[in-house]
Amino acid sequence: MATTTAAVTLTSDLLSDNMSVSASTTCMKAGTTADGLDQMEYGYVDLPTGDEFDLVGATPTAGKASKLYLKNHSTDETLFIAITQNSQAIGKLFAGDWMFIPADFHDAAGDIAITANGGTNRICYALFHEGIALVAS
Amino acid sequence: MATTTATITLSSTDLLSDELALTTTATLTNAGTATGVTQTTGLARRTTSAASAAAIQAVNLYRAGDYTADGANKVYIKNTSTTVAEFFTVHIDQEQIGRLYAGDWMFMPWVATSGTKAVFTVTIAATWAAGDTWEFDGVTLVAANSTVADIAAQIDGLNYPNWITTYVATEATIIFTARYASSASEVVYATADGTLNTASNGTANISSAAVGSKSESDITIRPSVHTDMTYETILIHQ
Repeated sequence: MATTTAAVTLTSDLLSDNMSVSASTTCMKAGTTADGLDQMEYGYVDLPTGDEFDLVGATPTAGKASKLYLKNHSTDETLFIAITQNSQAIGKLFAGDWMFIPADFHDAAGDIAITANGGTNRICYALFHEGIALVAS
Repeated sequence: MATTTATITLSSTDLLSDELALTTTATLTNAGTATGVTQTTGLARRTTSAASAAAIQAVNLYRAGDYTADGANKVYIKNTSTTVAEFFTVHIDQEQIGRLYAGDWMFMPWVATSGTKAVFTVTIAATWAAGDTWEFDGVTLVAANSTVADIAAQIDGLNYPNWITTYVATEATIIFTARYASSASEVVYATADGTLNTASNGTANISSAAVGSKSESDITIRPSVHTDMTYETILIHQ
């Protein structure tokens, strides 16, 4: 089985005591420790302003343990991408920000959509999943 | 300036033909600036449980109305469970984001789009008597005397489950503001719900009111089982 590890470290001197939170998980298929996520999509694209785009072209299988990584590689701090799912605003990734979420893709409306703001944003994404429904040509 | 960083490492030696080794660090700043974020909830840990599967309820982690909308807020959530099949389902408002299985974590931006809080003003007027009562939101006022300003002060001094009050000494009006942003259909609404019982002709009229609107991006998580499940979370925000 493929073994993919996702680790995070959050550090800050915001508090009276220094904060250092770390976590690591092996990306497994839903509800098992015996089989890791074994499929992946990876992209690095320039996102122009104006339109909203689905981040992932084909719909991954719903209700699984898919994981989505997304980073805004822009360096201008005023640029950001807005992220929505099924028209629900999730948040904004400003220049340099990244996110890592479980992505349910509960149905065709559950796609993750992104919109560039302030100028062309360069983004990088990776989707780890258990399978996708390919779109017929 | 405080410095807060978030580092992710994605690695695999056998998923692809080539090794996957991705590491990146973000220094978290306020929206559209280079100024570091300045606020955090700190790390929290909580165990959920319910009497039965039918009694499982979602936990409201963060209410949008409590934070800056459209800010560069970031949310971290981890399911600390070690039981494979146990997961938390994460929602923003009504939209299901995904499931955090045992050991999984997530880190995402949060728009924190809030609604508005309902508000209304009650004016104590006309002739009241000691012992008159006014009931609202399950709380009953018993007038200590007949002075309207004193009665208003008494009303302000009570604690209401769904409302907070604002009062200026010696005046006869009290402003009620809902504790949470919500539409009229979802909370005990005010205008007709005050119940007055007076021996004379005392009044507690609503002199102005505005209906609230529901929050659009509260973050909730729902455990998959009613037995103990534990999560950790932190919100870093503007």
